Amino acid sequence: MTIGIPRALIYWKEPGGEFWKTFFKGMGLDVLISPPTNRKIVAQGAKASDTENCFSSKVFLGHVLELEGKVDSIFIPRMMRNSMGLEYCPKFFALSDIAALIIKTPIIFPRIDFKKESLENIALKIGKQFCDNPEKIKKAIDKGQQEIKKREEKKLQSFYKKMKSHRKKIVLVSHPYILYDEYVNLGIEKKLNDLGMELIYIDEIPLKQDRLLESKTGFMKKLTYDEIATKDSEFPNWHWEFGRDITEQVEKIIKISLLASQDKIQSNDEKTEPSPLSLLKLAGAIEISAFQCGCDSVLKEFVEKMFKQKKIPFLYLLVDEHTAEAGLQTRLEAFVDTIH
Amino acid sequence: MKITFPYWGHYTPAITILFEKLGFDVIPPEKTNQASIREGSKFSPELFCFPLKVNVGNYLSSLRRGADTIFMWENLGGICRFRYYWIIQQKVLNDAGFKAKIINLNTSHPILRIKEIKKINKISWLRVLKAFYHSISIIIFIEKLEKRVAYLRPREETTGDADKTLDYFFNNIDEARKNNALRKLKKETKNKLKKVKIIKNKDIMKVGIMGEIFMVTDNVVNFDLEKKLGQMGMEVHRDLSLSYFLRHDACPWLDYIAQKRVNPYLKSTVGGHGRDAVNEMLVAVKKGFDGVVHILPLACMPEVTVRPILEKIHKEKKIPFLSLSLDEQVAEAGIQTRLEAFSDVVKNYHHKKHLNI
Repeated sequence: MTIGIPRALIYWKEPGGEFWKTFFKGMGLDVLISPPTNRKIVAQGAKASDTENCFSSKVFLGHVLELEGKVDSIFIPRMMRNSMGLEYCPKFFALSDIAALIIKTPIIFPRIDFKKESLENIALKIGKQFCDNPEKIKKAIDKGQQEIKKREEKKLQSFYKKMKSHRKKIVLVSHPYILYDEYVNLGIEKKLNDLGMELIYIDEIPLKQDRLLESKTGFMKKLTYDEIATKDSEFPNWHWEFGRDITEQVEKIIKISLLASQDKIQSNDEKTEPSPLSLLKLAGAIEISAFQCGCDSVLKEFVEKMFKQKKIPFLYLLVDEHTAEAGLQTRLEAFVDTIH
Repeated sequence: MKITFPYWGHYTPAITILFEKLGFDVIPPEKTNQASIREGSKFSPELFCFPLKVNVGNYLSSLRRGADTIFMWENLGGICRFRYYWIIQQKVLNDAGFKAKIINLNTSHPILRIKEIKKINKISWLRVLKAFYHSISIIIFIEKLEKRVAYLRPREETTGDADKTLDYFFNNIDEARKNNALRKLKKETKNKLKKVKIIKNKDIMKVGIMGEIFMVTDNVVNFDLEKKLGQMGMEVHRDLSLSYFLRHDACPWLDYIAQKRVNPYLKSTVGGHGRDAVNEMLVAVKKGFDGVVHILPLACMPEVTVRPILEKIHKEKKIPFLSLSLDEQVAEAGIQTRLEAFSDVVKNYHHKKHLNI
């Protein structure tokens, strides 16, 4: 039996497509992941989707159509809440229902609510449909979790490596399904590297380690409006997981950058070479949104405000199925010129 | 403290009454018009949904008339962008140079909130209860009136009679509010409605309206959709209303029943009134309606998500279906044309159905 996993949206979200791939393979099933996004996938997705749907959803439907006929069933989990009880984008809730309208292949749609159930329990439940041997399922889950750990480590190492580099740094704010999909973001990393910039993905910036503890000690208790209004916070009390994650990561990188710029002022007279801390200074920030992304229309307001308050140059880009690479190149060149 | 709030169709007078009876100095919002929508969208984030822009337009005109505090409501149960309206609107107003404060009236601690209001305005519990009683009774009356008018419109002898009564009520409600003559006005409206002459035994087509609650219920932003459909000879049925909203907030099992019905198509909520739209469409099919109008602000997250499902139902059950996405760019003439075309489709469908029987 072959299981298809579309390489879009939930593939890039936690626990990640790599986890599901190793998990299904560990149970002795064949797994087919749709190819990296290309022109054909985007075109067929845009055709099958509602015209006002967001670009990322269109890409997702394109991937689903790509798998149609090649696999026995397609795996589209229904992502509801993360371990802190924060919700995913509401479009994730209905992905499997919408996909079922355009394809005939059966869909596996487990409900994923990390607030209620741990990943092991969910995976165990899914595994029971395909495999009678609980030992084997558990082994498969372990293998998958190693994959998650590997990914996290890789991200962290890449972050430290990039921060140590001598090139100017730009942080790219977006959702993982845009950050890591090279067709969707039009190869922005290569373009910026060619322009002599180091691109840091917002996803790589480590979040606070004690986040889970925080949720247990009542962070999620609903604040009254006075508490929110008087608290001089830069962002609202998010109920979306990416909102909370991204604003926290942005806050962190801005803090590092501010520390770095202070250090430079002090050490400027004595040393000719830049001090190691001043390397951490942020030269600019770019946010990429998928066209018609409802969540980003909220998020952008706060991300933009945070960067602009600290006088960090900010560029906002929208991508959709008609975006041309040449246009992006021009805008990036102009942006890099303003940084110098 | 002079307060104001966003304009919301026919409910605006009821909300004004609530706040006035609670002891606030209220500046009622001006009726939404093209100029205010244009101004609102000028200041608002471009990619945000349409109702936010409409609200900002309302605020601007109220602020110019002296208001300094805005009451906005955050729906904690909702999953869509509506949650962040008040905070984004606050940012928009600050950026535009207004010093107004938006106070978020969410439903997390209603009793605490009322206690605060009591303290600020120095009013008794009796007055609080009276305020809620008055506004709820007027909301109920308005909804009854709307339903009755929707029933009368396709049946009336001279077109526009029922609407004249509706207009009479809403034109005089401000005056009556000031003179405490609401009861008299209600009575007069009722009498006037009784006098509307109708054609009996007329073959009537039934149409359901569903979609995003603000667009469905606010008669200004949807270009008087109900009136237009009604005068084309269709009896309009609309479930979504303020009382529907409150009912579903108070009774979660209603959502459970809705979920059971929509299960073959949609297996979870998608935020806003997405699931309700699917549910209402299925109910419309079951009740044998002749058409369904789905109305949403452009790129509304829940409604756009469920639209493919509604289209699927439309194809399966062969019921006429029209989906209207509105934003600040839409002109009334375009909507009129589409509605006329839709009414023809509905007529054909209706006659065909009767021939088959």
